[in-house]
Amino acid sequence: MLSLPGTLRKLRFFIQPRALERDLDDEIRFHLDMEQEAHVRAGKDVAEARRLALRSFGGQERYKDESREALGLRFLDDLRRDVRFAARTFARRPGATLITVLTLALGIGATTAIYGAVYGVLLAPLPYSDAERIITVWQHDKRTAGSREDLSAPNFLDLEARNQTFASLAAAEPFSFDYETPDGAVRFRNARVTEKFFSILGTRPLLGRTFQRGDYVTGRDRVVVLSHRLWMNRFRSDSSIVGRTLILDSVPQVVVGIMPRGFELPNREDLWSPKVFTDDERQERAAAYYAVLGRLRPNATIEAASRDLNGVASQLAREYPRTNAHLGVSLVPLPTQLLGGARRALLVLMGAVACVLLIACANVANLQLAAAVRRQREFAIRSAIGAGRRRLTRQLLTESLLLALLGAVAGIILAQFGMAAIRAAAPSDLPRIDQLSLGGPVLLFALGLTVVTALLFGLAPVLRATRLNLQQNLAADSQASTSGIHKRRAGSALVVAEIALALVLLVGAGLLGESFASLLKVDRGFRAEGVAAATLQAWSYYPTRAARIQFVKEATARLAALPGVQNAAMTSSLPLSDRIGQESSNLTVEGTASERDVRVAACTPSYFSTLHIPFRRGRNFGPQDDSASPPVAIVNEALARRYWPAGNAIGRRITFAFLGRPITREIVGVVGNMRHDGLHADPPPTVFIPHSQGPTGAVHLVVSTNTGDARQMIPSIKRELSAMNRAMPVSDVVTLESLLDSSLRERRFNLFLLGAFAIAALVLAAVGIYGIMSSVTSERTHEIGIRMALGADAAAVLTMVLRQGLLMAAAGVAIGLVGATLVTRLLKDMLFQVSSLDPFAFLVSVAVLFSVAVLACLGPANRAARLDPARAIRQD
Amino acid sequence: MPPVALDRLQGTLDMLVLRTLVREQMHGWGIAQRIQLLSRDVLQVNQGSLYPALHRLEERGWIAAEWGTSDNNRRAKFYRLTAKGHRQLEREQSSWADFARAVSAILQTA
Repeated sequence: MLSLPGTLRKLRFFIQPRALERDLDDEIRFHLDMEQEAHVRAGKDVAEARRLALRSFGGQERYKDESREALGLRFLDDLRRDVRFAARTFARRPGATLITVLTLALGIGATTAIYGAVYGVLLAPLPYSDAERIITVWQHDKRTAGSREDLSAPNFLDLEARNQTFASLAAAEPFSFDYETPDGAVRFRNARVTEKFFSILGTRPLLGRTFQRGDYVTGRDRVVVLSHRLWMNRFRSDSSIVGRTLILDSVPQVVVGIMPRGFELPNREDLWSPKVFTDDERQERAAAYYAVLGRLRPNATIEAASRDLNGVASQLAREYPRTNAHLGVSLVPLPTQLLGGARRALLVLMGAVACVLLIACANVANLQLAAAVRRQREFAIRSAIGAGRRRLTRQLLTESLLLALLGAVAGIILAQFGMAAIRAAAPSDLPRIDQLSLGGPVLLFALGLTVVTALLFGLAPVLRATRLNLQQNLAADSQASTSGIHKRRAGSALVVAEIALALVLLVGAGLLGESFASLLKVDRGFRAEGVAAATLQAWSYYPTRAARIQFVKEATARLAALPGVQNAAMTSSLPLSDRIGQESSNLTVEGTASERDVRVAACTPSYFSTLHIPFRRGRNFGPQDDSASPPVAIVNEALARRYWPAGNAIGRRITFAFLGRPITREIVGVVGNMRHDGLHADPPPTVFIPHSQGPTGAVHLVVSTNTGDARQMIPSIKRELSAMNRAMPVSDVVTLESLLDSSLRERRFNLFLLGAFAIAALVLAAVGIYGIMSSVTSERTHEIGIRMALGADAAAVLTMVLRQGLLMAAAGVAIGLVGATLVTRLLKDMLFQVSSLDPFAFLVSVAVLFSVAVLACLGPANRAARLDPARAIRQD
Repeated sequence: MPPVALDRLQGTLDMLVLRTLVREQMHGWGIAQRIQLLSRDVLQVNQGSLYPALHRLEERGWIAAEWGTSDNNRRAKFYRLTAKGHRQLEREQSSWADFARAVSAILQTA
């Protein structure tokens, strides 16, 4: 039945309905003329001929209508008429229509924006082929739950050789290249990858090629593949760069390819280069810093692969007990590894915005219900003339759809802004957050959402309008008929539901807010205000221990001499940053007990005063602690308390390795704890050694200022360091405050969004309460008039209305409380030092909701109280 | 014999139109005249009802329409039978023959 010419014809006639009419008219006119002429030829006069022709033809309108129906155009005709009628109905009540469209815009726009984030981050396909079959491989110490570490080269090579379930495995080593620019040296983050890396991921390069076998020969490995981001930012998307040579780390390297946008493994590097293992590296079984991934064989399952690799791990544990004794292997599919962390928070946000949408729909449904009551007479008349139930339903649904479409158009514009705000405010480690866009799938979702929304709020007035009793409504001249009760009950039920949803959102936002506040109040253990830090890798520029010691001494002295600087120091491990130099080591206490994974940092003596880390016992490092004097260490309270809870850690001896073989050091001081890994994480047990006794090249220079704003120091720090050594790139100079800010970004983001939704829900619920109370009180005008006549004063009327409103609010709050206790469990992971049933948040939310309900009822209550009883009684 | 109104027998009207168009293209009025002529005025088509039928047939793809000029130089819409229409006509003619035979068999034996 659906033919192309037929459909084209339908389309043409839909756009140009008059063409169809002309067509039909012309054809019929021709027929009548011919018939008329025939009669004239038979001898009749013109007027008689015309009459006979018309009579033998029959009713023109009827046949034209049947023709239209035959052409299948009736449906479109009706649709057009419905749309025009709907538009007139809206124009008659512009205020209500505007509120409806805005409410819908808010609901649809917010939901689309969040869905855009959910899609962009979680659902959009990853640029790796068949990503579920790509597995990331980690090693962990079986004695510590939940740990996950990179692998060492020999472990990787053995896994590669001995496994039976992977088609191929690859390793990536974090590295960096220094690149000269006119503005000074910059550092590119690089991943050195083994041969199968690109083939496992399966992504084709945007330009050029990835690495091939011939590149993995020492001497022939001077090739690099650039990331899309580096290519865009640094080389202005110049496609001629493929084949050109760049001087990286003072060595010419040829650019052989560019990867497409979104290819960011293993860790958002700027570029990739081939990894060829040296003989030394093949022996260093304890040096674990390779990220490993692999592609499963076609028939292998991840469980089988886990058993397989752990079998190899057990073999290695037997063969190399010193390094591998307790190591196991854990496997995580790539999508989970990349996206799993973001899933929980995003789904919570999606749920929250769905609540807002439901509340918006409930409000609109109420508005439509109120309109339906007003239009009772119109529907009754149309029914009487012959509009069937289906026709009326179609009309009302068309109106709903039209409203929803208008709301959707405005909503999509809102969503654009919303997504831009999300992109700006979201934590930068949310995967793919920078690639959010209002693309096809998101728009399709918005369209589907629009239709569903239209059905949701459109159904209410449809059910009402078609259930009417024809006679009752034509005859009745009172709006306070029994049908009014039904509408009131439905409307009140909707508002109760709105209040419940709003309470759930309020409680959620309140819990997150309390959590955030606790986080901010927690004792950091160090000072972040007015401190800047510069990160350097000094190894290649100061190759000897003595050179590095000298460099650090000089750098700290020069920085301390800068104007505005209070203190300058160096540390190898910077708080709140995931950066280079984080060392952890196995520690032996006085030859007996042992501790795993203790943080070790080298620092200069002024470090503690620069960051305001208090001393609890003992002394600081001093000039007497250098490379020739006895090895010393300072521990933090966490470590001291663990081993010497009652007594004194001073003078005790601990043994661990830092930059070489383990040596025994004497504890000379105990400092306060630092929340090193972020405000939410407990302070880790930490050991400090003087830089002169552990001259690492992983250098963070920290500088504190007495002027308050550390940002102003940044340019002078950069200049000073550049002046010291022009060739050495100073990669990041940041303030500790900005690091603190970044660490809080995710929580702040979640709080901001959930708070925004809670406020939106509250506003919408208030509007809903106001609406329903207005219509309820206006229906009860007659009754109020009687009460007033019988002696009720304004206060009594006020109380009566308020009580009705508060009862509704109470019902909503009760349901909402039940819902909230169930739902807030989902937030547990996001809360810090706050239980998911925290009474304060619940109480405040309930109080806020009741206050808002009272405020919303005041308007209608006031109006009711100020009614003139005489007129009220007469009104019906 | 009193004329038989064809309006109700929609399928029959369709078949007659198709048959009329087998040999040549015709406009609506011509079809009406032909049907009246061939049936020796027994079948009276309420002329207007022809047009919904024509549009229905056009929608089904059994006939195709084109605006042209009539013999007396008037602008008229001409219809012709399509290949699909030919096939449909054959189907209808054979099922009509079966129908007629069955009815007359019953009428004769009763």
